[in-house]
Amino acid sequence: MGPPPVVTGISPKEGPPGTRVTIRGEFLGTSAIDLIGLKICGCDCLLSAEWKSKNKIVARSGPCKGRGDIIVTTKSGGEGTSTVQFRGYHESIGPVKESAVWVEESIPPAMPWGRRPMSPVSYTPPDPLGLSTEGDDCKFPEEELHELFPDGSGKLSDENFQPGWYLLEHHSNTSYEDLKAGMVFLQRKVEGQKEGQLSFLKANTGAVMDQLDRLVLLKNMYEEDQRKNGKEPLPSLQAAIEDSISLADSLFSEILSRKENADKTREALSLLTRHKFLFQLPSSIDRNIRKKEYDLVVNDYTRVKNLFGNTDIKLFQKILAEIDKKIDDLKTRLYNRMKTMPINVQEQTNYIRLLISLNWEGDAAWTAITSRKDYLMSLMNKVKDHFKKKEDQENNEKGKRKVKESENEGSWSTTRMLWCGAACGALSTELNALWPLARRYFAGELGGQPSASERHDSLKEMIIAAVELFSEHMRACLLSGGGGGGGGGLPADAMRARLNANLRDLRETYDALLKLDLPSQPLSIVEKVIFDYRVYGMTVFLQRAHKRVKGLAEKETWKIEEFSDYGAITNLPHLLQTYVTEALSSIHKCVLISGRREGALLAEGSEPANAAQRHIQQILLAFVAALRQLALHHDGDQDFNNTSLSVALDQRLEESQDASRDTSSWQQRLLVAGANAQYTRRVILPAIAAAANQYGFPNPTQALQATKDSLISLESTIAETYLEHKGDPLVGTIEPSMYMGRHRTDADAAVDDARPYVYEIINNLIAVHAEVDSVCGAASSRYVRDICETVCEELARLAACAPPVCTRAAAVQARLEYTLLRRAAADHLTRKAENYLTEALATIPPLENEEDKKRMEELIAGFEKKMELQLASLNCNMETV
Amino acid sequence: MSKKPAAAPTLHKVIMVGSGGVGKSALTLQFMYDEFVEDYEPTKADSYRKKVVLDGEEVQIDILDTAGQEDYAAIRDNYFRSGEGFLCVFSITEPESFDATQEFREQILRVKNDENIPFLLVGNKSDLADKRRVPLEACRDRARAWAVPYVETSAKTRDNVDKAFLMLIREMSRQKLGLPPAPSPAPARRPRCAPPCCCLS
Ligand SMILES: Nc1nc2c(ncn2[C@@H]2O[C@H](COP(=O)(O)OP(=O)(O)OP(=O)(O)O)[C@@H](O)[C@H]2O)c(=O)[nH]1
Ligand SMILES: [Mg+2]
Repeated sequence: MGPPPVVTGISPKEGPPGTRVTIRGEFLGTSAIDLIGLKICGCDCLLSAEWKSKNKIVARSGPCKGRGDIIVTTKSGGEGTSTVQFRGYHESIGPVKESAVWVEESIPPAMPWGRRPMSPVSYTPPDPLGLSTEGDDCKFPEEELHELFPDGSGKLSDENFQPGWYLLEHHSNTSYEDLKAGMVFLQRKVEGQKEGQLSFLKANTGAVMDQLDRLVLLKNMYEEDQRKNGKEPLPSLQAAIEDSISLADSLFSEILSRKENADKTREALSLLTRHKFLFQLPSSIDRNIRKKEYDLVVNDYTRVKNLFGNTDIKLFQKILAEIDKKIDDLKTRLYNRMKTMPINVQEQTNYIRLLISLNWEGDAAWTAITSRKDYLMSLMNKVKDHFKKKEDQENNEKGKRKVKESENEGSWSTTRMLWCGAACGALSTELNALWPLARRYFAGELGGQPSASERHDSLKEMIIAAVELFSEHMRACLLSGGGGGGGGGLPADAMRARLNANLRDLRETYDALLKLDLPSQPLSIVEKVIFDYRVYGMTVFLQRAHKRVKGLAEKETWKIEEFSDYGAITNLPHLLQTYVTEALSSIHKCVLISGRREGALLAEGSEPANAAQRHIQQILLAFVAALRQLALHHDGDQDFNNTSLSVALDQRLEESQDASRDTSSWQQRLLVAGANAQYTRRVILPAIAAAANQYGFPNPTQALQATKDSLISLESTIAETYLEHKGDPLVGTIEPSMYMGRHRTDADAAVDDARPYVYEIINNLIAVHAEVDSVCGAASSRYVRDICETVCEELARLAACAPPVCTRAAAVQARLEYTLLRRAAADHLTRKAENYLTEALATIPPLENEEDKKRMEELIAGFEKKMELQLASLNCNMETV
Repeated sequence: MSKKPAAAPTLHKVIMVGSGGVGKSALTLQFMYDEFVEDYEPTKADSYRKKVVLDGEEVQIDILDTAGQEDYAAIRDNYFRSGEGFLCVFSITEPESFDATQEFREQILRVKNDENIPFLLVGNKSDLADKRRVPLEACRDRARAWAVPYVETSAKTRDNVDKAFLMLIREMSRQKLGLPPAPSPAPARRPRCAPPCCCLS
């Protein structure tokens, strides 16, 4: 480390702040960057320091006052010392002195004649005693001097000069020795002047003459001057003086006016700073409005109103007016923004608050509420129009494509679904905003006149109106509009999905409104919509089922699906069950279960419950009707196929081959339909009842009963029809075939067998039985029974009409035949049939001898043996009645 | 060397007087820092202080470089009062500056009120011999009249610079020690009012 800096010279050694000083010394740094510190009188001046050489630095003094060292610090030598000192002082600046900075003008000390001294040092004559008066601090009191020398004066030049005064005033502290020395000095001076005069003149005669010459010359010049300039120089002097006065005045007036201006400027400046807030407010309001910092604006406005609200100052009033205008603009802007929908409620509340703080005259919150409501209404209408339009467009397109009417999805379309969702969303969001707003309004949080009596009512009306509009739209959207009610061609799954979606939307809205704690009236309106929609949904499901059931007739394939206890059935009854169960389960799944605070859909005795009953009944009856149609309707050409009747009279021909090609002949269908009907009655209806029960429906007793009745009647119709078509031809064959062999038979010949017609009857019965049994199984007995009855009736009739039996053989013959018949059909004979047979037997004389009786028994036994197979086939599968 | 282990060496306060531009500052800076400043920059009041070895004894010299310009004449009085020795400088190329030494001398005597105050008359710019306008004899006469030594210097060439300062300091320390003044180059000390042409009043 090198030697520390030493400052040994300073130029100048004193000065006001900012004086440019040259600092000299040794080791003041090896370079500019080596210099790292400079302090003059303790003030850091490094910033202004200019390193010149290791011996010289130029810098400017800081705002220091008094004497102090100059300390240079270098990296190479550390902190230095100083052998010289700098003195800082603060200059006072007069009005005519130029200054770079504004200096507060101090009032100048009062001068005796109101003037400033011409020069900073006033003239003091030298001391006559040649003594220094320096350090003579202890002044002699002036009053005492005046007392001591009433008429005197201390001034050397005054006439009434008093030496005592002078000595007391100036030399009160001077020692006697000094005074004596002063005396000697004075005397020498006086003597020098006195004695020197004459000798001086003598010694300098030449010079004196010279001087006289000069005086003459001067006089001449003076006279010359007078001649030239006149005797009176005074006027011109006066003019010059006046000129200078006015000049001085003008100089001063300029200075004064400058000072005045400066004062004014200063005053204005201080006013500006003092009321900066006020003056800047218009622009800061603008700025804050631009930045959307409305709270700040309100704060500022309240503050300015408090501070300057009652000001009398014109300028302030002007600014206030400007501010007021801005605030008014802001208010209208806020107001407009507040009621311009859509807006979120938070923001809206903010605007309302701001308007209240800005003393808005109107009832801002109420406006907000009404505008919200209007917006909600228009929104819903807009939604409606939008979707209606869309729907129309779609329909037009479809119309162009000539799509079947059934594909029109109507109230189940996606468009409707979207509409429902949109409307629900709109209602719940808007009410979600509106209602709390209203609540706060009525709680008095948002100003205005919430206590006004009509407010509550009109709010309620508004909400009801909105909800009613919603309900109206939703009814239009969901409960109407084609689609054949049954959802057209829409698959059930899709329909169910849409129903669920719509219902969910509605319920969500309802739920939202419940949470809002709305009055019960609007709530019940929404609930009604939901309820109606549920009913609608139910109806639609049932209608769909109805429609499908009605279409079943066409679906019948006559394919035997199953041999039930009630005969061979197709899948029709099962389809019925499926359709109905599906509908019920859909209803159960989608609409039956009530949501929160919803009424039960199928309350006991309610309209929907009745409707459900009615619909189910309709469906079931439609099924019966379908069955009926299937059973009884047949084409004209397809006649009852009696090929199985082997009547001797008409031989089976190619006809039969034709018929056999048809897998199911009409009588077969008839029988199948009968079996279906019975199966339905016995199995399906209870199953449906169970399903209804399972899915929470009231028991459809009435419908079931009606269906049962209808089925029973159908079954008997079928039976009758069958008998009519089957039994009648069979009966018709009896008479001819009975008489066919009569001429061949010898009347008296021994009776050894029944005539062929008996076998034919039995064969026919077997055929019928076989046919019926193949279709109806265990349920076939009814048909066989009926036919047996007609056969017996015919026999009775023939017996009654025949001429009385006269031969013994004939009697035996007839008895044998009747007995055999009774024996063969024993299991199928009703009481009535027995009666007919008994009646027929009564026409024949009884057997007279034991031989006949024995013979008869033998014959019967032979018959049974011979016909064992036939008899067995006729009596198999017997239903035990 | 010093007999007394003085904590601080004796301090001699020297004041540079003379008209503006004669080279007071130039002399001071040459003495202090061995540098010559070509540019003329009027002085207000500068202060310098350094240690010098005088006749084997270390002393401190404090130089107050005052303003030669008339503008600052008013503040001279104050400075003079603190001076213990004076270097009264004029430029040998400038008769007016030579004339002005008279006034300076009077002012110093008036303020110090001591006829024997250490005082040195310095004729500067001796290097500009070709421009000389103050005859050497006149200078010597005046010194003789005042009974002070006369030295001709050149701040530019450093001719006699140290000599001038050291002569003055030597005289000052002599006086402080109570010794009689050094034999001046002038043959004899004259009575104060000797010159017949002065003191008309
Ligand atoms: N040739 C020459 N020029 C000199 C000499 N001494 C001073 N100068 C020049 O004279 C001019 C004035 O010198 P300064 O030393 O500033 O004068 P000063 O007496 O300090 O003047 P003030 O500060 O106004 O009283 C400068 O340009 C110097 O360069 C010298 O011995 N020879
Ligand atoms: Mg100078």
